[in-house]
Amino acid sequence: MIEVKELVKHYGDKKAVDGITFTVNDGEILGFLGPNGAGKSTTMNMLTGYISMTSGEIRIGGIDIIEDPIGAKRQIGYLPEQPPLYPEMTVSEYLCFVCELKGVKDIQAHMKEIAAKTGVTGVLSRRVGNLSKGYRQRVGFAAALAGDPKVLILDEPTVGMDPNQIIEIRELIRSLGKEHTVILSSHILSEISAVSDRVLIMDNGKIAAEDTPENLARSEKRDTVKRMLIRIDGESEQIEKVLDSFGDSFTYERINEDYELTLNADAAEDIGRKLFFAFAKAELPILMQKEEEVSLEDVFIELTQKEEKR
Amino acid sequence: MKAIFKRELRSYFTTMLGYIFLTMFLVLTGVLFYLNNIYFGVTSVKNFFSLLTSWAVFIIPILTMRLFAEDRKLKTDQLLMTAPVPVRSIVLGKFLAAGCVLAGALAVTLIYVIVISFFGTVNWAETISCYIGFLLLCGVVLAIGAFMSSLTDSQIVAAVSTYAILIVTVFLGNIAAALPDPFQSLLLWLSPTERFLDFAMGILDPSALVYYISLIALFVFLTMNVMERRRLS
Repeated sequence: MIEVKELVKHYGDKKAVDGITFTVNDGEILGFLGPNGAGKSTTMNMLTGYISMTSGEIRIGGIDIIEDPIGAKRQIGYLPEQPPLYPEMTVSEYLCFVCELKGVKDIQAHMKEIAAKTGVTGVLSRRVGNLSKGYRQRVGFAAALAGDPKVLILDEPTVGMDPNQIIEIRELIRSLGKEHTVILSSHILSEISAVSDRVLIMDNGKIAAEDTPENLARSEKRDTVKRMLIRIDGESEQIEKVLDSFGDSFTYERINEDYELTLNADAAEDIGRKLFFAFAKAELPILMQKEEEVSLEDVFIELTQKEEKR
Repeated sequence: MKAIFKRELRSYFTTMLGYIFLTMFLVLTGVLFYLNNIYFGVTSVKNFFSLLTSWAVFIIPILTMRLFAEDRKLKTDQLLMTAPVPVRSIVLGKFLAAGCVLAGALAVTLIYVIVISFFGTVNWAETISCYIGFLLLCGVVLAIGAFMSSLTDSQIVAAVSTYAILIVTVFLGNIAAALPDPFQSLLLWLSPTERFLDFAMGILDPSALVYYISLIALFVFLTMNVMERRRLS
């Protein structure tokens, strides 16, 4: 649905986007992840035709955005970082305006439909300028849905919403992903991993990694050491004596009441059971034993910091 | 284009701007009508329009300062520029909305002509050419104002820079008088307000019509280019 080839954008001397290439398939939800200033918004602005690229190629549904900008834009619904709202209009006026702008035929019916989808039916007669941030975001979302575009591009769609609204919007994005191709960006990791089929980590205008959220977390697990957190009821001397008996299977560090074990890759197998029996023998009850999972957050920090060092 | 035109026109009257403009315009024309026509019992609207041209240019930027600057400030240009609408429709829609408010205000002044027709004879040729000329002159001012608004994201900067250009324009005739000939005739030829004097005398000179329409087209075209070029930066 979306093909991007060697996309470059310069702002003066600064390379905001530096030769990225990716494709998004029909009905896929792609998450853009990256620290602030990584080039996420710039990329989205180029995809929607708001700014043009220095070089490269963008095709939306097979239509080149330079050759036929109107045709390409017709397939896109865009929710920018700051929703583009006119504060003096009421919500229904605004949504009708956007529908008309996008050439919708039955404006009133379509307006009601997109308002219902995004949960703004209750505020239709209120002025946009008087709405809370969460509602403004939703109105912007509704505007992006106007005209039922095939591609939705959402720049940080859940900013300023409360946790309940975030869950609602996530469900909305997931349901929209069945019929639409969605690209969303965020610097919040849980956000991305919750809804995306595929994640694209951007840093310094380049793609640092690209995979499913699960694979990204898994691949990182292989190269790094596993960590385990345990809490034992007993004297620290006794505990450490037991831990020492494991030799070089792991190194440990005391953190308050707990011990954090850093396991060696080859010894990692079945260490939980071994620990249990060892402490049982020493008559020291294990109160807590937890394997620390490598989250997308670790992958993100790892990848983006690696990039900085270069 | 229709959607943008309608929204823009409505927004003049959902914000204070349209009312402020109408009030100022009608107070100004009312005072000028009283001083020129009622007080001296004159039926000709020539002087009324000649004075109005120097004064009206100072209230017309109220209509244009917002056109593009506000969109940039509110980031609503992101909505317009990513909608399946060509740039020329955006610019024309906005320009025509401003022109429509101005034409509406001017239509109200027809009451003065009707008042004159009750108490004397109206010189219709002169009156019609004055209205046509004034509308075109205002079109030029609107186009300049729209262009200045497209250059900035601050309405104040847009308004003040438009005033700066208009002040020079209004005094171009006076400046010309102090200069030796080649410059004098050049400046007189360039000055939009000097051109209006023909219309005030009831002459519909085709060269003046072409001059005004080309100036309007030039600035509308420049505005479209500014919008288009901003995407490249």
